[in-house]
Amino acid sequence: MDNQAAIELLYKMADDDLIIGHRNSEWTGVGPILEEDISFSSMAQDKIGHSWGLYKILHQLGESEPDLVAFTRNAEQFHNCQMVEFPIGEYDFSLIRHFLFDYADYHRFEMLENSSLTGLAQLARKIKGEIKYHILHARTWMKNLGNSTDEAKERLQRSLDTLYPMALGIFEKSPYEDQLISDGVFGGEEALQTRWLDSIMEVLRLTDLNHTLDSAASPLIGGRMGKHTDHLQPLLDEMSEVVRTDPTAEW
Amino acid sequence: MESLDPRVNRMNLPSSFDEAMHKEEMDQLATYEVFLVPKEGKPLESVGPVHASEIEMAFVFGKEAYSRRFTCVAMAVCPTSSIFPSPVSEAGQSAYELLTDQAETEGDEQQYEVFHMNKRGKFHKHVGSLMAKGPLDALHQGKEAFPEETPQNVWVIPTSDFHFNSEEDSDLWATLPEKKYRDAIFYKAGDKIQKYKDSVNS
Repeated sequence: MDNQAAIELLYKMADDDLIIGHRNSEWTGVGPILEEDISFSSMAQDKIGHSWGLYKILHQLGESEPDLVAFTRNAEQFHNCQMVEFPIGEYDFSLIRHFLFDYADYHRFEMLENSSLTGLAQLARKIKGEIKYHILHARTWMKNLGNSTDEAKERLQRSLDTLYPMALGIFEKSPYEDQLISDGVFGGEEALQTRWLDSIMEVLRLTDLNHTLDSAASPLIGGRMGKHTDHLQPLLDEMSEVVRTDPTAEW
Repeated sequence: MESLDPRVNRMNLPSSFDEAMHKEEMDQLATYEVFLVPKEGKPLESVGPVHASEIEMAFVFGKEAYSRRFTCVAMAVCPTSSIFPSPVSEAGQSAYELLTDQAETEGDEQQYEVFHMNKRGKFHKHVGSLMAKGPLDALHQGKEAFPEETPQNVWVIPTSDFHFNSEEDSDLWATLPEKKYRDAIFYKAGDKIQKYKDSVNS
């Protein structure tokens, strides 16, 4: 098996988890209520943990060590979708992003449970419970706020309309798509998108939000190829501040 | 009430507590009690409350607030308002001996879950379930059902007021044993602090 295809897949997954984990951790201490602050922060920590697991598999495939890979690359060397790098905005934005991203994350790892890349299949099975919690959390909030006050529903709807085209960028195809499928590594972005859409529609139907998503929306792509918004580099600078100040620092 | 402690003075406490203090009603979410099963085969035990808008949200919050620090194999939540407590007894005495109110004799029977706190400061642990016509009836029946026990406090809670995790969600707790780094005790800072002190003193 040619590793290039698997490496491309692992990088984009790991970078997605690292960046959204870092972004969501920005809510720590300022969440809407204490219990939510704890939950959202813990999930952010889970995401960083998942990215670490993926970087470790990359390291086994010959890439640099996880810390080096996480802290010393520039924006154009990152393969995360652009959606995850946007600032946290107000809570409705972060919540809808969490909802759209985590259902995709859940189905991606679900599809990887039987991947021919055994290390990845093992990781997928191991963290299944955590991601299951992430979508339970997202679904419960959507059901609650999506049936509550006019302000809540308007805010969710606005964020959903903004984030839906961004979320479609999650499924930007890799140049190795056919190979990943035929090698049994991963079932492909198209199959993933279908599962994802079914799931998010199912949740939206439990709410008063508009159930018809814009099928003509043009996906916000480029992230998988290293094209990013101006939001990513400042985030990376902040994340790697300690390493840049003292590369030998231990904490 | 005057105190030498300025923090107490700032609370403007009345000189006596004969009348209940007036308290403004607050715009606050209701509380729910969270229960965990710490290990396979162990009983459900209460671990603390969470604020939430409704019971499913309480489950979601309870999972992160409590199951990260203890090992856990199952969880349940109920509204705090569903808990009917017995009086609290002193050590060596059973709370069941302090029941004075008569049990309900009218009404339909429903199932209650019974929890015992065996010592002050300990968690309430599940001891069994029984059918009763009301919470007082459930307490009186508990006294009959658990004659060997001397709990210092008893809770009875209607079974239907609980939200349990489903069997298929049991993998929610799979990675918990590996998360020791979430405990403060995992971080041994003593050596580093000593090293720092030595470097400052030398």
